[in-house]
Amino acid sequence: MMTKKSWNVIELLSKYKFWRNSVCTFSSSGEDSNITKQAVNVAQLETKEVGKAMKAYLERAREHDEFMKQQNYEFQVGKRHLANMMGEDPETFTQQDIDNAIEYLFPSGLYEKKARPHMRPPEEVFPQRKAAEFDETGRPHHFLFYTGNPNFYKLLYDIVEQINHLNKYEDSMLRKSNKPDPNLALHATGFQWLDQHTLEKKLVEEISEKNYNSFINAMERLQSLPYSYKAKEFISAYQKPLMSRTDLSDIPKLQYDKEGRAFITVYECRRKDAKGYVTIKSPGKGKVTINNNDIRYFHDVQSREQVVAYLDGDLNVFATGAGRARRVGH
Amino acid sequence: MALRSLIFNQQILNNSVPILSQFLQQNGMSQFPSYYIKPIYQKEAQYDLIKNNEAQNYAHLPVRPALVDQTCSLSHDPKISLFINYVMRGGNKALARLLVEKAFETVKRKQLEKYHKAKEEDKHKIDIDPKEIFHKAIGNVRPILQLTPIKRGGVRYQVPVPITEKRAQYLSMRWIIDAAKEKERTLHFPETLANELVAAASNGGKAVKKKQDLHRQCEANRAYAHYRWS
Repeated sequence: MMTKKSWNVIELLSKYKFWRNSVCTFSSSGEDSNITKQAVNVAQLETKEVGKAMKAYLERAREHDEFMKQQNYEFQVGKRHLANMMGEDPETFTQQDIDNAIEYLFPSGLYEKKARPHMRPPEEVFPQRKAAEFDETGRPHHFLFYTGNPNFYKLLYDIVEQINHLNKYEDSMLRKSNKPDPNLALHATGFQWLDQHTLEKKLVEEISEKNYNSFINAMERLQSLPYSYKAKEFISAYQKPLMSRTDLSDIPKLQYDKEGRAFITVYECRRKDAKGYVTIKSPGKGKVTINNNDIRYFHDVQSREQVVAYLDGDLNVFATGAGRARRVGH
Repeated sequence: MALRSLIFNQQILNNSVPILSQFLQQNGMSQFPSYYIKPIYQKEAQYDLIKNNEAQNYAHLPVRPALVDQTCSLSHDPKISLFINYVMRGGNKALARLLVEKAFETVKRKQLEKYHKAKEEDKHKIDIDPKEIFHKAIGNVRPILQLTPIKRGGVRYQVPVPITEKRAQYLSMRWIIDAAKEKERTLHFPETLANELVAAASNGGKAVKKKQDLHRQCEANRAYAHYRWS
């Protein structure tokens, strides 16, 4: 009777055989330069015996390189044509200029921005392909090759390594009776983990939802450790900030009128479709002017309450657009 | 040719990821993504956050804009604004607000009249703040149990079960409004609502009776209580 383990081994072996025969069906990452380098290396080793799989791969890599070369050439020619059409110098025609030209020549009302016509270098348009993952005899380079998702499982492996390292570090600190620095602690708020699509692009591998969830769980566990700030660099590579921090210097400064009263005017106040500009003077007597009317400009109590609730001085508003309820938002 | 083939053959096909539809499924019709937090618009809540050193956690989170009826005004009370929303019919919020405000005014007038008529030693017992009376009324009408039908052996039993805070508050507000609406055609809603609020604040009126009826029924069906878990 065979054990389960031995069955697995046989399964693996059969898979391996299959891959040796038709490797390219699933190999897919890395850069073109990698592929060519590999091709050159293998060409030098031509005296050695080269497997069928490697030959097929080399053929495919050569075809891909040629295709990319052709696309690149067409892109450069197209760029020059476009520059001439727009009456600009082709040598100094940047990607931004291309985007503007395309928007001008092919105006599109499509809501989804990605569906609108655009022209980008072929490296961005065609998906990246993995370089050869095995040597000329067909042996894989990566130690997790047979998982099918080597880059993803390597990432999980790295996370666990970081966790173990931090646990060890925490133990050593406890022995010295040191405590983690609360000022350096990582804040979970304000950041978001890379979404599944971005992570797939980064690892050049397809990731199932279940695998993505286990990645999130592992990262959250790593971040929750008391000394997680030691692995800040590693963690932040898989995070993106939710919102850029507001620049404090953008707050407009107070101005003073003839009577020495402080006032401030904020232009381009928006709420939904309503626009307006607001002047607040302090100290004041609570005098409110809205489009040259007093507070009775708003008919319902709710809107009046909104105006008065934040008021500490005199208020002067000019608002247009949308309904009255929206204009209150200024 | 290169330009046209790039634009129409590859680009559009390569970018067929249905981002927009996923976005709509997750958030209904909201224009804000799910990670946008609700605004903390009340000053006390903000001071509490600063006091507990939790304000830093909110510093860089994207926040939805406050709703039109949310202000940091002293007169703002979230429970009253919820009550106004329950009174509202057909989206006529201005009318709903007017009715509730009139009811509060009537409560104030009635309580002041009582206050002035009362003897000197009884005056401190009379509450003249309509907001306090409102909160007291809501608290008195709030049930602690409710009946839910559970099928056992082909028979539906009305089983008493505990009630959540939110549902209890909803029921108390709805019962008060229903009680105020049960009236002669000649009477006006603000007046009956004012009467109901004052009565409920002193543990009387139709709404409180409804609560007591429910509790009595729960007491009568206490033998079925074990059906909740068996």
